[in-house]
Amino acid sequence: MSAAQKVENPLLDKNLVNAFVDGVKKTLSTMAMTESTPQKAFVERDFKAKGEVSGMIGMVAGNMRGTITISFEKPSIFKILENMLGEPYSEINEEVRDAVGELTNMIYGTAKTALNEMGYAFEMAIPTVITGSHEITSYHKGAALVIPFSMDENLQFFIEITVE
Amino acid sequence: MFSPDTRFLVVDDFATMRKIIKKVLAELGYTNVEEADDGQTALPKIKEAQKEGNPFGFVVSDWNMPGMTGIDLLRAVRADENLKATPFMLVTAESEQKNVVEAVQAGVNDYVVKPFNAATIKAKFEAIYNRLNKAA
Repeated sequence: MSAAQKVENPLLDKNLVNAFVDGVKKTLSTMAMTESTPQKAFVERDFKAKGEVSGMIGMVAGNMRGTITISFEKPSIFKILENMLGEPYSEINEEVRDAVGELTNMIYGTAKTALNEMGYAFEMAIPTVITGSHEITSYHKGAALVIPFSMDENLQFFIEITVE
Repeated sequence: MFSPDTRFLVVDDFATMRKIIKKVLAELGYTNVEEADDGQTALPKIKEAQKEGNPFGFVVSDWNMPGMTGIDLLRAVRADENLKATPFMLVTAESEQKNVVEAVQAGVNDYVVKPFNAATIKAKFEAIYNRLNKAA
């Protein structure tokens, strides 16, 4: 039996959660020289993106369907992009949206590789970038696992995992 | 190492990634850089440059792109008698064994897994240059 089959609730799957936490930390430290620290995770009944710009990917692994969302408050994404591209940003424009999509891609790709090496069967997917406050109800039945991350200067962002 | 005049083509559907790669190339002293947003736009550029007698000396391409993927672009370059010797590096989030094997079989010179930093790219360039010059 593979690791993926043993797990009943993917939100309680330490491998899955750790893979995404590692993906976030590795992507931001390598691409943007930005260190980030995961805080205590919590579960929410309603899925509501926490930040003002979010990258979302639909996850498909065997019979499992879900979403992973990386949601940034404005000051945190502006800081990350300044570190990554060497230019200051002050508004959420097409460049910022494109960069959030690419960051989401890299985080998902890193996590997917680690998980598939453990016997999971995650497939590659294309991210969607959403701006503004948003709520998505059709994507999941149940709950969302939220992991806040802190950065320097009291900045923060969130990853949110939902499973159908 | 590749000459500072080397003409680079950076292929990626995300403008951010093209920008990051251009920034890394500039840090390494390469400023003769052009861009394309997928294989379909890159291939005519590569052919045109060759015809005009000012060929690209290096292609850096993403793997996952709509239109024409990086691996299909690589195969098209390797299948063309005039272009097949062009150094070609894939940049991708795909680092599973099966992807590496597929890229090597298609004739990639090297392979960079995202996320990466400037030091990684530099080391790959040096390795490619040394292999090509040893082979020559």
